Amino acid sequence: MLKRIRQQWKTYMGGSRMAAAGCIVLAVWILLAVTVPLVSPWSYSAQDAQIRNQGVSLLHWFGTDRFGRDLFTRVWYGAGISLTVGIASALINGAIGVLYGAVSGFAGRHTDLILMRIADIISAIPSMLYVILLTLVMGAGIGSMILGLCVAGWIGMARMVRGEILKLKEMEYAYAARMEGIRPLRILARHLLPNAAGTITVNLIFLVPQAIFTEAFLSFLGVGIEAPAASLGTIIQEARSQMMLYPYQMVFPLLVLCVMLLALNMAGTAAEQRAGGRMGTMRGREDR
Amino acid sequence: MNVLEVKNLSVQYPGAEGASEIVKDISFTVEEGGITGIVGQSGSGKSTAMLAVMGLLDGRASVQYGQITVKGKAPVPGRNIAMIFQDSLSCLNPSVKIGRQITETVRMRKGCGRKEAAARAEELLETVGIRNPALRMRQYPFELSGGMRQRVVLAIALACEPDLIIADEPTTALDAVVQAQILQLLRRIVRETGTALLLVSHDMGVTAAMCRNVYVMHGGRIIEEGAAEDIFYDPSEGYTRQLLKDAKGGRLREREKRNVDDPANREDALIRMAHVTKIFDADEGIRDVSLEIRKGEILALVGESGSGKTTAARILTGMIREDKGRLYYRGQILQRGRRMDSFGGKVQMVFQDPYASLNPCLTVRQALSEALDAAAGLAGRGAVDGRTAGHRLTDQEKEERIRKILALTGLSYSDADRYPHAFSGGQRQRIGIARALITEPEVLVCDEAISSLDATTREQILELIFRVQRKIGFACLFISHDMHVVRRISDRIAVMYGGQIVETGRTKKVCSDPWHPYTKLLLEAVPEPDPVRAKKIKSGPVKEAAGTDLPDAAGGCCPFAGRCGYALECCRRERPEQYVFGDRGVSCLLYSDEHSGRRSSAYRMTSQI
Amino acid sequence: MARYTCRRILTGFLSLFVLITVTFFLVRIIPGSPFQRGGVSETVVEAIEQEYGLNEPLFTQYISYIGGVLHGDLGISYQDPSVRVTEVIARAWPVTASVGAAALIVSLILGTGLGILSAVSGRRSVKQMISAGGMIAAGIPGFAAAILLMLVFSVKLKLLPASGLLSPVHYILPVAALSLYPAAMVSRLVSSTLETELTKDYVLFARAKGLGRRQVIFTHALKNAYLPVINYIGPASASLLTGSFVVESIFTIPGLGREFVGSITNRDYTLILGLTVFMGAVVILVNLITDLLCAWLDPKTRRAYREERA
Repeated sequence: MLKRIRQQWKTYMGGSRMAAAGCIVLAVWILLAVTVPLVSPWSYSAQDAQIRNQGVSLLHWFGTDRFGRDLFTRVWYGAGISLTVGIASALINGAIGVLYGAVSGFAGRHTDLILMRIADIISAIPSMLYVILLTLVMGAGIGSMILGLCVAGWIGMARMVRGEILKLKEMEYAYAARMEGIRPLRILARHLLPNAAGTITVNLIFLVPQAIFTEAFLSFLGVGIEAPAASLGTIIQEARSQMMLYPYQMVFPLLVLCVMLLALNMAGTAAEQRAGGRMGTMRGREDR
Repeated sequence: MNVLEVKNLSVQYPGAEGASEIVKDISFTVEEGGITGIVGQSGSGKSTAMLAVMGLLDGRASVQYGQITVKGKAPVPGRNIAMIFQDSLSCLNPSVKIGRQITETVRMRKGCGRKEAAARAEELLETVGIRNPALRMRQYPFELSGGMRQRVVLAIALACEPDLIIADEPTTALDAVVQAQILQLLRRIVRETGTALLLVSHDMGVTAAMCRNVYVMHGGRIIEEGAAEDIFYDPSEGYTRQLLKDAKGGRLREREKRNVDDPANREDALIRMAHVTKIFDADEGIRDVSLEIRKGEILALVGESGSGKTTAARILTGMIREDKGRLYYRGQILQRGRRMDSFGGKVQMVFQDPYASLNPCLTVRQALSEALDAAAGLAGRGAVDGRTAGHRLTDQEKEERIRKILALTGLSYSDADRYPHAFSGGQRQRIGIARALITEPEVLVCDEAISSLDATTREQILELIFRVQRKIGFACLFISHDMHVVRRISDRIAVMYGGQIVETGRTKKVCSDPWHPYTKLLLEAVPEPDPVRAKKIKSGPVKEAAGTDLPDAAGGCCPFAGRCGYALECCRRERPEQYVFGDRGVSCLLYSDEHSGRRSSAYRMTSQI
Repeated sequence: MARYTCRRILTGFLSLFVLITVTFFLVRIIPGSPFQRGGVSETVVEAIEQEYGLNEPLFTQYISYIGGVLHGDLGISYQDPSVRVTEVIARAWPVTASVGAAALIVSLILGTGLGILSAVSGRRSVKQMISAGGMIAAGIPGFAAAILLMLVFSVKLKLLPASGLLSPVHYILPVAALSLYPAAMVSRLVSSTLETELTKDYVLFARAKGLGRRQVIFTHALKNAYLPVINYIGPASASLLTGSFVVESIFTIPGLGREFVGSITNRDYTLILGLTVFMGAVVILVNLITDLLCAWLDPKTRRAYREERA
C-alpha cells in the first residue's frame, strides 16, 4: 500500500517544488485544524462577555470576537469544518461525476444527449438555491451543506470524464478490445477509465478547493452552517459588521482560508502539469 | 558554381546528461540550378541541419559552423533561401486563408500593395499547377487536398524568390501518384526558374529520381557523398548498402507464394462483402464494394488515402455499419449491428498507429491475457463454432500461450511485464500483432500496419506478418497505400479508387499487366532506388485532380474519369460496373461489352491500355 | 449555419422552459409560507395567499406563471406588492451589466497581455512571476479578494470609496475584485496555448518565409491561440453579466446579485424564481453566442456545421 502511494506520488507529483509546498502547507493546516480545538484552553463556542473584541495578545493569538470567543481556536475549528465539507463533498461529487460522465460518454448518442442536458439544467440553477432548500428541509448543518454542494458540484467532473471517455473510446485499442469480444462494461472499467485516471485525479484535487470555496462564500452570505458550529465563511461573515473597527477579526480567517485554497490549488496545478498540462481541464467555478 | 556552401556545421543540444550532438561537423554544397539530395533515416539529423542552415533553430541549440553562405552572402530566410516541410497541413496556418498566406509573403519580399500582391499570388499558383487560383485563394488549407496544399507551400517558397529552396521530405506525406506529380513539378521549377533545390528525404527512390548529387547522412554525420549514380550503383559504405537493400526489399522477394489457384482453396470465401455501400457526409465513403477473403490467403487492398480502404475494413470488422449491402461469414449472412459478436473474436486487426493501438495502462502480459479471457468468455457463451471447447484457460495454459506468441512475434518473454511506453514503434507493432494473433483468429486485418514505421523496421514487420501467416495460415486482409509492399506480400490484390474497387486479380498478373488505368498509374508512380529507372518515372497521362472537376461522384460517372488519361466521352456519363474475366475483375468502361469488342464468352480479354 | 443556429436557439428555449419548470417547483416545495412571520395571524396570511393565488392547486399556479412568462411577466414581488419582478430586473441589470462589462474588458486586456508576455518572454523569471501571480489570483476566492481590497484601499489607505456606484472611481474596486479571477484564467490560457502554437510547423514555416517574430505571433499564432480563450470567456462573461452575489453585497452595488441575496434572505419566492430564470436565460444566450463565435472564427467548425445538414 505504502509503496503504491509512493509510486502514485511520484507519478503525479514527482519532483515538483510547487506540489511539495502545497502539500506541506496542507499538512500543517490539517494538523492545526485537528489539534488546536483539542488542546486549546478556549472553546470555539463558549462566549465570555469579559473579553470581547480583544486584540492580538499572547493569550489570544488571533484576538477575540464580539462575543468574547477566542478567534485562534475558532478559526482552526472552522478550518477543520471547511476541510471536512470540502473533502467529503469532493469525494461524493467525484464519484457521482465519474459515474455519470462515464455512462454518458460511453453510451453515446441519445442517452448522452439527454444526460448532458439534464446536467446543464441542474448547473444553470445557482447552487445557493439548493443549499437553502436543503437547510430548510434538513436544518442548517454540515450534512445539509455537503448535500447541497453535491446537487450540482459533480457536473464539472461529469463533463470532463465524458469528454475523456468520448475521446478514448475512439482510440484504436478500444476498437481492438471490442474486436476481442471484451464486454462493454469491462472495456469501460479496464481499458477506458484507467486511461482517464490522470485527468480524474487532477479534477478530484481541484474539486476540494472548489467545494471549500463555495461553502465559504455561501456561509459568508449567511446561508449554510449555523451557530454554534462555524466554518471559515461564517467567521468571516460574523466579523463583517465590525469590519471598520476590528479588521483583524476578518483578516485572520481570510488569510487562513486563502492559504488553504492556494495550497490546494498548487497541489492541483502541479498534478495537472504532471498529467500533461491539459488546459482543457479549465474549471469554471461559481464565482458569484 | 555553388549556391550553398556549408562548412563544418555542428549542432548541439544541452541535455540532462551533458550536451548531445545532433549534427556532427558536416560540410556540403549545392550546385547552381541543380538538385542535390540528402538522404538518411529519421533521426539522422537531416532536418536539424537544415534548420541550422536556415538559422531557425530555437535558442536552446548551439550551432557552430565554419561557413554557411548562399551565393557568398549570409542566408536570410525569405530572401535568398526558403524552405518547405513535410506536412503541408501543419505548415499552413489553419485559420488563415490561402490567399493571405501567399500575399503576405509577396508583400514582405517586394514591399508592394495588396492588389499587386494578389496578382502575383495568382501567377505563382498557376506556376505550381493550380487551376482556378482565384477560388483557391479564398479557401482555407484544410479544404485543399494534400497535393494541392504542397503546391501552395511551394508557391509560398517561390514567392520569396530565393536562390535556394530546401525541401525537407516534401512528398513523404503524399500518395504515390501525387508524389510523382509533385516531384515532376519540383523538377520543372528548378529547370524553369533556375532556383537550386536541396532535397532532404528518407526515401531512396525519391532521391534517386531527383538528384544529381547525393549526401548520405547517418547519426549526424555525412558518411558518403557523390554523384547519384555512384551512390546507388556502387555504394562504398555498408550503411548505404543496407539502406538500398531495405528500399528494394530484397528478402521477401524470393519467397514462394502459395498457389491460390489451387482448387482446394478456391471456394473457401471466409468473408464476403457484397455490394456494400457506406456514404459519409459529402461524398466520402465506399460505393458498391464487393470483396472476398479466402481461407489462408493474403489479400491486399491498395489505394491512395481517402479511397475508402479503411472504411471497407472497418465495415468488415463491424466497427462501423454499412448503409447498404450484405456481408457473409462462412456463407452466413451477418447481422448488421451485431457483427463483432457474430465473429466471436475470430477477426482481429492490426492498426496503423502503434502508439494508439495499445492500451498504455496494461502491460503486455495483461493485454494478452485480456484477449485470451475474452476469447474464452466468447467460447463459453457459445457464440463461436464448436471447434474450441469453451473453457477458461488455467493460468499455466495462459502463460504458455503468451510465451509462445511472444516468441513467434520476435519479442522476448521478459518483455511481458513492461508497459507499452517502454517499447519502440516497431516493437509495439509486434505486440499489436501478438495481441491480434493470440486468440488464433481466422482473419487478420492489417490496416496500414507498417506505414508509420521507417524502412528497416518496415521490412522486419512485413517479414514477420508474412512468415507468421505462412506458418499459421490465417487469412489476411493487408491494407496499404504502397504498391511496392503490396506486390511482394500478397496473393491477390484489390485496387481501390474513389470508394470503389477498380481492379482485382492475382497479384502477379495485376502488377505485371495492369488493366485499369489507375492501377497502371499506381504501379508507375513508385520511384525505385535506381537513378536511371527512377528518372524515367512519368506521372502518366494524368490530369491534375481538381475536386470541382468531377460532376458528382454519386451520379453516373466513373470516379477516375477526372484524372484518367484514357477517359472516353461515356466515362463522364456512365458508371462502370465490375466486369469479370476469369479471376480478374475490373471496373472500367474500356472493358464493357460495347467498348471492348467482346462478343462471345470465348473472347480472351487483354489489357486495353 | 442558419440551420445550426436555429437548432441551437430552439434547444436554448427548451432548456429555458425546463429550467423555469424545475425552479418553479423547487421554490414551491420549500415548506412554510413566505408570509408566516411573527405576529401575523393565520387569517391575514391566508388573505395574502389568496391575493397571490397561492391557495390554488400547484399546477394551476404553474400554468398561470408560464402564461405570465410568455407575456414577459415574471410576477409580483412577495415582499413589496407594488413592485413587479421585471421592474426589479430592469432597474438592477444595467448596474450589474456595466460593472460586469468593465470587468470583462479589463480581464481580457490584462489577461491577454500577460499571457503573451509570459509565452514569448525568454526569461524564466518573468514566466514564473506571471504564473505565480495567476495562481494566487485564481486561488483566492472572489469575496476574500474584495474584502482585502476594501480593507487596504478604503479602510487603511482611504484612497478609494468602499460602497455605491456614484462615479467612475467607485468602479475601480469592484471591477478589480471581479476581474481578478477571469484575468488570471485568460492569461493562463493565452500563455499555454500560445506556447503550444509557437512550436507548431506553421510558425516555423512563417519564419522560413521571412516573417518577423512579432508578425508571426500577432498575425498567425494568436488567432489560433484565442479559440480556447473565447470558449472560456463566454460562460465566464455570463456570470459576470448576471452579477456577483458577494462583490455586489460587499460593495453595496444595487445590482442583480444583491437583489438575489436580498430575495433569499427575505424569502421572496417570485423574485428568486424570476431572477433565476433571467440569469438562466442570459447564460443560455451567452453560451449560444460563444458557440456561434467559435464556429465563425474557426473555419473547420464552420464547415462542420455546414455539413451537419448532410
